[in-house]
Amino acid sequence: MAVRVLRRSVMTETTQFRVMDFDCPTCASTVERALSNVDGVHDVEVHYTTGRVEIAYDDSLVDPGTFARAIENQGYTPQAA
Amino acid sequence: MERQTIARYYRTNRKALATAASGLLYAGGWSIGHVTGLDTVSAVTLILAAAIGGYDIATTAYHEVTNRTLGIKTLVTLAAIGAIVIGEYWEAAAVVFLFSLGSYLEGRTMRKTRNALQELLDMTPDTATVRRDGTQQEVPARDVDEDEVVIVKPGGKIPVDGTVVDGESAVNQAPVTGESAPVHKADGDEVYAGTVNQEGALEIRTTGSGSDTTLERIIRRVEAAQEAQSPTESLIDRFAKYYTPAVIVLAIGAYALTQNAILSLTLLVIGCPGALVIGPPVSIVSAIGNAARSGVLMKGGEHLERAGKIDLVAFDKTGTLTKGETTVADVEGFGVADDEILSLAATAEKKSEHHLADAIVDAARERPTARADGGATVAKAGGLDAGLQTVPDPDDFDVVAGKGVVAHADGNEVVVGNRALLDDRGVDIPERVADYVREREGRGETAVHVVRDGSVVGVIAMHDALRESAPGVVAALQDAGIRTVMLTGDNERTAAAVAGEVGIDEYRAELLPADKQTVIEEYQADGHVVAMIGDGINDAPSLATADVGIAMGAAGTDTAIETADMALMADDLERIPYAVTLSKATRWNVIENVGLAVLTVTVLLAGVLTSYVTLAAGMLVHEASVLAVILNGMRLLRH
Repeated sequence: MAVRVLRRSVMTETTQFRVMDFDCPTCASTVERALSNVDGVHDVEVHYTTGRVEIAYDDSLVDPGTFARAIENQGYTPQAA
Repeated sequence: MERQTIARYYRTNRKALATAASGLLYAGGWSIGHVTGLDTVSAVTLILAAAIGGYDIATTAYHEVTNRTLGIKTLVTLAAIGAIVIGEYWEAAAVVFLFSLGSYLEGRTMRKTRNALQELLDMTPDTATVRRDGTQQEVPARDVDEDEVVIVKPGGKIPVDGTVVDGESAVNQAPVTGESAPVHKADGDEVYAGTVNQEGALEIRTTGSGSDTTLERIIRRVEAAQEAQSPTESLIDRFAKYYTPAVIVLAIGAYALTQNAILSLTLLVIGCPGALVIGPPVSIVSAIGNAARSGVLMKGGEHLERAGKIDLVAFDKTGTLTKGETTVADVEGFGVADDEILSLAATAEKKSEHHLADAIVDAARERPTARADGGATVAKAGGLDAGLQTVPDPDDFDVVAGKGVVAHADGNEVVVGNRALLDDRGVDIPERVADYVREREGRGETAVHVVRDGSVVGVIAMHDALRESAPGVVAALQDAGIRTVMLTGDNERTAAAVAGEVGIDEYRAELLPADKQTVIEEYQADGHVVAMIGDGINDAPSLATADVGIAMGAAGTDTAIETADMALMADDLERIPYAVTLSKATRWNVIENVGLAVLTVTVLLAGVLTSYVTLAAGMLVHEASVLAVILNGMRLLRH
């Protein structure tokens, strides 16, 4: 309460995609790894069973279009969720 | 945009086309080899089959390797390359074709499972007709503000959550509550986005739109439930952590001993725990998706697996087995006019929130205008609502939990309560009062005594009608081998009468709210897996204590959904046997899938190690087992 540390504020945004064409559980893990290696990404969850992809990221460093391309590069089709 | 769409179309269908091409080339190469004996032509065709079918697999394998995840696609790629290197072209082509066919089918079937919920979301229309600036405008449904009035034509889908402010109609609420029969809606009634207005035009004041609607909240919860790991799933994940390296060690060991590369690769490919990893999640996702479409919210695989073991179902009586609409059935004064009894009791109970109190106060308000000589506490006509009697406030009042109230009004002490309260206060119950009470209780009614200044002056008998569906639901559970129990705060005789009417196995009467929890713990101590069914608000502690807490009529009440393991969106008892049998079916389905997967891998491993199973045959059985568990799990979508 007494001391307030000032620091550069980091804006964390979240976005979702839906990937309907995952065809093996490892494929979902691979996409999860690939997305978490993108600069500015704080947290990624990829769910094989529902196809839901949830990404928490710093919007001053990266935008959702980059995520969509990253998913496509892994061979899957991202849809807006 | 157009080019992007075409590109996406191509990407989605490329896997199918590559699989088909690979299959044709494989068949061609095999025939050429067998019929003409042109070995070179045959080899080239088979290598082509492996290359075309394997391109996608190898690409993913490359991503797996660069992202440091070890998956079956890497192993299949290694196996195919290995087979080509040592000249086993037929094996290479067969393995690639079978795997690519298998994963194409796996992708398709999983898409169907994933779509089960999407259909629910599609129920909400994209646009809404609102009244803005005095005109009707069509706007995106997500942009409708709170308190804005939305107009829904007959036959139209309701685009927002809200309250009816004008019009009257029948609304099909199946997407939210799973009820197939339409529900009558008029002024003041709540309606949900995604439901269908069937008859008249409705004007609705918006309470939530976009992602802030009941349907969207339910779907988000259902998805979270589908993604939560069940105990079986986490067990398998832990097992796989050791199992996969063990298979790799086995494969290396086999190579060291036999120098047979194909044997090692075969071990790697068929040792993959594909069916084992996929089976249980597919069962659970299908079951949760099915339940959601029937208006039952399952909180996750863990809850579902536990629900599959239920062998005892406890019902809260009031509002669960009964309609929860308590009305005064009879008033009997003993030396005092019936009207005065009602009036005395109503004043004493006015500030209480108990459902029996509400019934007494309502009855006092609605009774015919009091006689002029009715006494000091008789209400005078003309209050806020014309035609209703007013009920005066008590000077003070105390609630005695589970027993009644003690109040003061007009210089009198008034006690309204059950036998226990009268015993506590040392009030004598005359024989003719006791006779009357016994008679009413024998009919399943609840009787409360009205005591003025220490002596019983009357009795009010109250009735809460049984739900028509209750006896059938209890019988269905009994048929499924489940013991049924009714828990109630009512006295023994009332409880016995209601229990007899419902046909329930056992009842526990005269329970205080906290006693219900204790009773559940007793059953658990006896080794029962107990489900408790209630409204989720008054009985939240018992729901939390039970192995599986089931809340009824939960649409719109987040508290109930939070507490419960399962929530029935509709206030519909008939969903209970469905929910219980679905849970049992899911539990068996998971066991079947795990059993099939373990059996397949064991037989294949033994077959490979004894050289009975080749790479291609192993792949065929492996892929068949993956598809078998997915299809088995998907049966739960149609339970």
